[in-house]
Amino acid sequence: MTVVPAQQGGGGGGTSGLYDVLELVLDRGLVIDAFVRVSLVGIEILKIDIRVVVASVDTYLRFAEACNRLDLETGANKSPGLPEIVGEVTESGARGKSKGALSGAAETISDAFQQARSGGDGQSESKPRARRTTTSRRKEEQE
Amino acid sequence: MSTYVYGIARGSHPELPEQTTGVGNPPMPVRALRVGELAALVSDAPEDLRPKRRDLLAHQTVLSEAGAVGAVLPMRFGSLSSDDESVRTVLAEREKHYLERLDALDNKVEYNVKATHDEEAVLHQVLAEDAELRALNEANRAAGGGTYEQKLRLGERVVAAVQQREKRDGELVRQALEAAAGAVSPGPESSGWLANVSFLVDRDRTADFVEAVDALRKEHPHLVLQVNGPLPPYSFVE
Repeated sequence: MTVVPAQQGGGGGGTSGLYDVLELVLDRGLVIDAFVRVSLVGIEILKIDIRVVVASVDTYLRFAEACNRLDLETGANKSPGLPEIVGEVTESGARGKSKGALSGAAETISDAFQQARSGGDGQSESKPRARRTTTSRRKEEQE
Repeated sequence: MSTYVYGIARGSHPELPEQTTGVGNPPMPVRALRVGELAALVSDAPEDLRPKRRDLLAHQTVLSEAGAVGAVLPMRFGSLSSDDESVRTVLAEREKHYLERLDALDNKVEYNVKATHDEEAVLHQVLAEDAELRALNEANRAAGGGTYEQKLRLGERVVAAVQQREKRDGELVRQALEAAAGAVSPGPESSGWLANVSFLVDRDRTADFVEAVDALRKEHPHLVLQVNGPLPPYSFVE
């Protein structure tokens, strides 16, 4: 059996790196009372972005502007959810997405269709800003 | 000199390759301390051990390599014992408990999944679901972006809708993947993802798990999923 270093073993197009599993190495794992733990004071790589959307005036303004800029035409191909567009989109894949996320969930489980590994990479062109920041920061850390 | 402990394995765990090294600079050789039916994977601890990248990676690598040939209970990074003898004492005292955990984690690996939203895609979705939001957005556009108040009004409602969706999608990620896993453990909090969940997956079923992730990705392109694994089962040792 080939030993694949875990930090590189992300399947399904998963991105990996020490940064992504740091919290597990530092916050999970067996702790034995009789042992002491090395001090984590001064650890800098533990900085974690808040990526979920936070309610604040700045966020409101940013999202209002983002909505304003949304290209409803090209966006339709990526996320065919606008009711007025749904009827025109006939590709497979439009089906689940035009519904609520919860009703889509059941289909996700039952469908279980194959997706080529490279398939996931197609989304990388339109990653949100936060994600790109993470990637570049991760590179810096690995240097 | 104190002893650095990487993990606990069965006494019958295959010997580590001789060159296996762990934390420290230069890296300390890793050895097995056997007691009863258990073996602790340890090395001498460097004098000034700190959570540096190289050492964190060394900890992780020792556990990954040892875990690939037999069950290992991964210790949290930075566990130090005063000496080898104290490690033996702890193992002897709790032998039965650790053997039970080793049985439970036999042939299992951890996959950690983190999810965020593709912002543009999720904005499309919330607008698609709410005619009022679309109308507000159109009104702002017609007004060349809208006034400060108009922007706040739209933005506040959009943010609320996105937050609601984050909650829903967090649950969705967990539900969609738990069928392909033996156990689920929420990741450490405060990390700011809409989902940060670890799954315990049978080594023989990792392909199924990865397939489930791919299916989820395909079905919900507004989700950005980051998968890490196979990992030592950090989140499932207790």
